[in-house]
Amino acid sequence: MKGLLRLYPRSWRKRYGAEMEILVEETSGRVGVALDLLLGAAIAYRDVIRRDRVLSAAGAYLHGACVAVLLQAIAFVSLILAGQRSPEPTDLHTGPFYFATVVGTQPSSGSETRQQLSATLGLSAPFPWLPELALLVGLVLVLVVMLATPRLLRSLR
Amino acid sequence: MTGRRAAAAVSVVLLIAVSVAVAESSLLVMLLLFSSILRLNFGVELGDQWLTLYAPRYAPVANVVVHHAGTIGSIAFTLACGLGAASWRYRRWRPA
Repeated sequence: MKGLLRLYPRSWRKRYGAEMEILVEETSGRVGVALDLLLGAAIAYRDVIRRDRVLSAAGAYLHGACVAVLLQAIAFVSLILAGQRSPEPTDLHTGPFYFATVVGTQPSSGSETRQQLSATLGLSAPFPWLPELALLVGLVLVLVVMLATPRLLRSLR
Repeated sequence: MTGRRAAAAVSVVLLIAVSVAVAESSLLVMLLLFSSILRLNFGVELGDQWLTLYAPRYAPVANVVVHHAGTIGSIAFTLACGLGAASWRYRRWRPA
């Protein structure tokens, strides 16, 4: 349990480390205490980062990059959802710049044996877009959590 | 003082480059995973090379291709979002 104190920032450990070690020794063995220590470490780091302008900007940079990655993943799944069952190729482009292309499935192009095999394997489900939709909903939920995280961290005491 | 400033500038550039590389790698892994889950043929243009993932051929599958402009646009978008968020926080920072 004492090892969890190493997760705290060095400045914090210098100031409160000895007292906390005694406290942890008295209450060790409880899962709740371990969770409290983990939460406390997150809050301590939040305070250290918020006090420093450059660290704060670096944290915002990493957060912005994570949000950008999630947005691109959402765009990817949306593009597949829009273009997968279209008989024509679906392009994502601006002027002469083509970013991505989806060439959808063409069920009529396969042989009869192949179509029978697909049906046998259960690949022709009644809602073929369901996996894409589930992924999209999952990604949007993660994005919402990601956007709310700084506010949640600020509200922690 | 100049040496320290130069070191700080190099550190910032390295942090930016490494974090964008990590972000883009994780995005690529996510797209490969999604392509595998959704049974797609997936390809990315990386310079004059292709990174491709083929789905099993027992059923008709869709093909998704990310072109050069998509790769470069993705890097630029990640960088712009990160730098935008950082500059916003830096300018609006107040002591806690």
